[in-house]
Amino acid sequence: MSQPPEPKTKAPSSPSPPADADNKAIIDYAAAMRAKKEKKEAGTAKARQAARRAKEKEDERISAFERQRESVEAARKARYDARWLWAAGFWVWMLSIHVVGIAYFTSGFLLTRLMLDEKSSCDAPPTLNSTGIDVLPSWRGKGHVDGGCWHPKTFERAVVVVIDALRYDFTVPVDDNAPFHNAFPFMHDTARMSPQNAFLRPFIADPPTSTLQRLKGLTTGTLPTFVDVGSSFAGASIEEDNLLMQLRDAGKRLVHLGDDTWESLFPGYFEANLSKAYDSFNVWDLHTVDNGVAEHIFPLLGKKTGWDVLIAHCLGVDHAGHRYGPDHPEMTKKLQQMDGFIRDVAATIGEKTVLIVMGDHGMDGKGDHGGESDEEIEAALWMYSKNPVFGRTKPEFVTPPATAKTRPVNQIDLVPTLALLLGIPIPYNNLGRPIEEAFVGAKGNAWDKLAAAERVTAAGIKRYQSSYFAARGIEETSAPGSPADLWTKAEALVAKEARNPDWATVFSAFAAYQQETLRRCKILWAQFDVKNMILGIAIMALGVVSLLVYVSKGEDDDVAVTEDPELDIAERALEMQGLGADAEVTAGHDLDKRLVSAALVGAFPVLVGGVAQSVVSGDGDWYRGAGLAALTSIAAVLVTLYESKDALFSLVPKTLWGWMAVVFTLSQSIGFASNSYTIWEDSILLFFITTFGFVSALSALKLPSLADRYLSIYHSILFVLLGRLASFSKLCREEQMPYCTSTYYASATSSTSAPWQLLIPFTAFLVLPSIVKAYLVPARSYEGMAPTWINYAFRSGLFMAALYWLFDAADNGNWVPSLPANTFKNISVYTAQIVLALALVAGTTAFVWAPPCVSILTATRKPGQAQVTVLGYGNAHGARYLLLPLNILAACFLLSKPMGGGALAIMMWQILALVEILDLNALAASPIGPVMLALLGSFHFFKTGHQAVLSSIQWDSAFVPLFTIRYPWSPLVVALNTFAGQIVATVALPLVVLWKVNPRRKGVLASVSRALGVFVAYFAVEALASMAWAGWLRRHLMLYRVFCPKFMTAAAVLLVVDLVGILVTLAGVRCNTAAISEVFGWAE
Amino acid sequence: MPLIDPVTMSSSIAKGAVAQAQAASKGKDASLSTTLQPVQVRQTAVAQTVRHVFPALVAAVFFFQFGHLVADPVKAMQRSLPVVAALQIGYALLCLPVAGSPAPKLARKVRPGEKKKPSESSVGQNGYVTALLSLLLAVLIAPFFHVTMILFGAPFLTHGAQTFLCALHLAILAVFPLFYAHGVDSAAWAAVAGFQAPLDETFGGLVGALVGAWLGAVPIPLDWDREWQKWPVTILCGIYGGYLIGRGLGGSLFFGKKF
Repeated sequence: MSQPPEPKTKAPSSPSPPADADNKAIIDYAAAMRAKKEKKEAGTAKARQAARRAKEKEDERISAFERQRESVEAARKARYDARWLWAAGFWVWMLSIHVVGIAYFTSGFLLTRLMLDEKSSCDAPPTLNSTGIDVLPSWRGKGHVDGGCWHPKTFERAVVVVIDALRYDFTVPVDDNAPFHNAFPFMHDTARMSPQNAFLRPFIADPPTSTLQRLKGLTTGTLPTFVDVGSSFAGASIEEDNLLMQLRDAGKRLVHLGDDTWESLFPGYFEANLSKAYDSFNVWDLHTVDNGVAEHIFPLLGKKTGWDVLIAHCLGVDHAGHRYGPDHPEMTKKLQQMDGFIRDVAATIGEKTVLIVMGDHGMDGKGDHGGESDEEIEAALWMYSKNPVFGRTKPEFVTPPATAKTRPVNQIDLVPTLALLLGIPIPYNNLGRPIEEAFVGAKGNAWDKLAAAERVTAAGIKRYQSSYFAARGIEETSAPGSPADLWTKAEALVAKEARNPDWATVFSAFAAYQQETLRRCKILWAQFDVKNMILGIAIMALGVVSLLVYVSKGEDDDVAVTEDPELDIAERALEMQGLGADAEVTAGHDLDKRLVSAALVGAFPVLVGGVAQSVVSGDGDWYRGAGLAALTSIAAVLVTLYESKDALFSLVPKTLWGWMAVVFTLSQSIGFASNSYTIWEDSILLFFITTFGFVSALSALKLPSLADRYLSIYHSILFVLLGRLASFSKLCREEQMPYCTSTYYASATSSTSAPWQLLIPFTAFLVLPSIVKAYLVPARSYEGMAPTWINYAFRSGLFMAALYWLFDAADNGNWVPSLPANTFKNISVYTAQIVLALALVAGTTAFVWAPPCVSILTATRKPGQAQVTVLGYGNAHGARYLLLPLNILAACFLLSKPMGGGALAIMMWQILALVEILDLNALAASPIGPVMLALLGSFHFFKTGHQAVLSSIQWDSAFVPLFTIRYPWSPLVVALNTFAGQIVATVALPLVVLWKVNPRRKGVLASVSRALGVFVAYFAVEALASMAWAGWLRRHLMLYRVFCPKFMTAAAVLLVVDLVGILVTLAGVRCNTAAISEVFGWAE
Repeated sequence: MPLIDPVTMSSSIAKGAVAQAQAASKGKDASLSTTLQPVQVRQTAVAQTVRHVFPALVAAVFFFQFGHLVADPVKAMQRSLPVVAALQIGYALLCLPVAGSPAPKLARKVRPGEKKKPSESSVGQNGYVTALLSLLLAVLIAPFFHVTMILFGAPFLTHGAQTFLCALHLAILAVFPLFYAHGVDSAAWAAVAGFQAPLDETFGGLVGALVGAWLGAVPIPLDWDREWQKWPVTILCGIYGGYLIGRGLGGSLFFGKKF
């Protein structure tokens, strides 16, 4: 009996008793390998003879025994396959629970609205194809901007002053001494004293009352939703049809002063030399913006030319509210300043100019806004003209309403009003209606004009609704009271009244249509379905609970028996006698089977019931059944899990490592309630990764063997250093400014790599395969296919990926102008395709068919006694499995930009260091391994140039291996780019369990499934937390910017991890176990 | 037919060897831990008073410096460093047994009427030298803390002075007493670094300061726009708070206990 060559090598060797059955497989394998080798090397006949002789001798002795053994092996293989199927079944169930939970929550939370690309045009009014009777038959310049496209135009120019957070009660007389009351009387006075020149009305904002969302509503005339699904996610600019777009297309020149939000929403719209934008986020500064606006606006107002529409956005009132609250002398001062400012502007404007002053939202008692409370949505609207054009339909409407509860107008009503007043088409998506004061004429009796304006607006709404329903594929109902019904009635009224028109009735009919449509759209787009959200959260939460209980099951029972050789031999002996074959099935390995059965039993009746109910009742909401089915299914699974005892107590961690896993996961999840911790998630992940590294370095001091101690400290420090190194790759999100500098691209304003960054993939190509090799060599696992695959295939994949980015840079930078166009693009795309083919197609094939990464040396010591040494035995599982993550890594490496490729290479190194640490500290069964891997995956999500915001998706990665968008490949490529970190982590997950594990280890599948459970539990908890917080904070100011994208990212990551876990990780483990067991025998 | 599978057998032997090694090491661990005694504060009246007064002084120094610390961290940390160092030296000299001195008998109560031995109460020449050497060693440890902070995500190229001063404070506060009490005894330091040492005022202070520094990072990302969120104010707060709490608990409630 010889000792292993090195302490760390678990590769055993021993004299081989010739007739031992279990050795047979190894010897066969060795003989085959030897024969192959000898054939190549044209070895001596003598050796071959010896081999043949040995083989014959063995065959004679064991033939009978061998048959028995084969049948046992076959039975074990069949049982393994069955177990694998049940485990996969469990994970498919878990995936469907996650899908149902997320879908439910999303259906209540993520209200989506399609953005339509259609634009209104001047010469095609929406009334074109209706009854043919026009309320206003004709006017001078009809159908042209000069006369008014859809309605006679009233004004040539407009000055729009937005006073941020101008609440309605700030502008009307109130009988108290509050600092914010009675300080801004000008607008109220003019409206009362000269009603034909001005009117003042409450102006109701649609929540959320944040400036950005409000400006969208104020210019497009539509309601905001979470996701405006349109042609492009990228960029904040408004791409829907809107007032400013119509103005620009009509040749009007726009000028903007003040809040820079306008510039980001409407880039390039404004006359650059006249406009002046100011930073909107410094709420401590009350005066810079207002003074700047005042300084620039009066010279412009004096000019007769150069601009047609002037937008001024003052922030002082809003900032005073944020800083001091409304109840403060500063607010009085600010409102008085605004009063004087508006007085001066009103005095300066020309005859054919309309002046509009409005608040984009109000403010609550503390001076903040964003939510939907009354005080936040009640703003003020004042319109003024030197010419007497405004009227009232009733004399009592002259005095502006005392509170915002009477006669309010919706903010979106400004859109058709301003459009018709200026003679431009109403934006296509508008849902608002014209404000009556502006169209009813100075005498208040021009009902025909008002009806015409109302009708053309309603027709626009009708046209928009039809195209919206067509785009969504929904049927419009025409039941009584529905918008379609109201529309038909109103049109009938037009036809009927044509002879002797009562235009007031017509006006009311169209107004009723508009109001009903708006009401329905608000339900559709602007209200959360809290019931569905709660159901979704409940499904997710119970899913997490069952996952945790599943994970905590029998943590020690399989590890305990795995490596007891005598027990194994005894078992085999029993099995060979045909005794134990059935007994073992019941031994607890069939947990998955019972769970899946329970899940199906729990889900099936309710699902069927739900579908049947929806068929019978005909309301089509069959998906309700899915939600209930998910709940009953989880309940059944939990009961099953509970039956198998010691359920919840084993969830409480018992070791420092367990506590770390819990603290890392939970503290992050709690942190998602805060926008700051969500924004800085990448730094927090680095903090946790470093914490783990330091704790493992310190705890390594407890290791008994000095060599292990040093190794463990070395890998821990390496792990930390690599993490910090990777952290230099940053793509900052907007909210991280100014504390963050992006390094992912050449500069903050480009999305191409700097030339020096091209060195990163080449460095990875030179270094990474050698590093991987260095992790295999100590366990003698750099054998079998490993050298070929890692040193040649993997390395050349990395090399070609590096070349790809070189070609790409050459293409972008036009480095070689003499080459014909597209040369570099062609070369690079084909290079990329080769890399992907090598990594995914050839790589998968090789992984499926590869023999274990072992070498078997046979030496004959004495006649009749052969000594077999299996190099790489101790890491047989891990070393072979490693080939799979390497393949996936190569693909992701190509698809990430150079900086991201570097981050992924570092990640691979960190993973290897991590599994070494886990092995040295005997932590393979601890939850810390999978949790750290999950943290690594999340960390490198950020380090590959992503953030939890939609705008950080690297759409251009779709064109790495393709010339055009092709389904399904383009979305797959973008997904591989976006979730590269998590995907590599998921694929590498079995290494936590398999590293340094020899073929005799039992219950490998159960261990992997449990580790996968911890891993998925991390992501499920993150998704659940971000989901719950997003639902709870659904009226938070930062919902659109922070919480909603975080939830969407977390949900997508969870589903990706689930899918990859089933399709790649579990399948990979199966292939791996099969390949190893074919050689070493099935270990159960 | 031999029953033993050669492959599994040899692997089991490897396992067995490891197990044996582990068993042996457990024995070693046990012996190691029995040798390392918790550091006893001297039983003299002065020491017992100083033991409670000095933490209060440290806390007071920190408290009164806090305004300056927020305004100008570098200057404030520079100014308070000598004061804190002096306080710590005074504490070590008066309260802690100097390294290499014979370990005091475990919690031996002075019987009423019994005279204290003079050697226990006086600080010999040895004490001052050890204090100075310990201070030097603690200062030498500071760069290590500096690097550690960077690894945890502190600014790499900027804020060097802030980070280093913070590391210096941590070293003088938490590491200096350990050097004073244990010298450069490698077994003691292995126990301390591996968090296996028994808790006492010195080790408790270190653990508290480290945990405090770790927790001190928590408020930094919040968007409260407060001056005190600037680097490294919160970390320093955590270090001082954690040190004082750890020292208090280590010296009293958890004295002699281990993790």
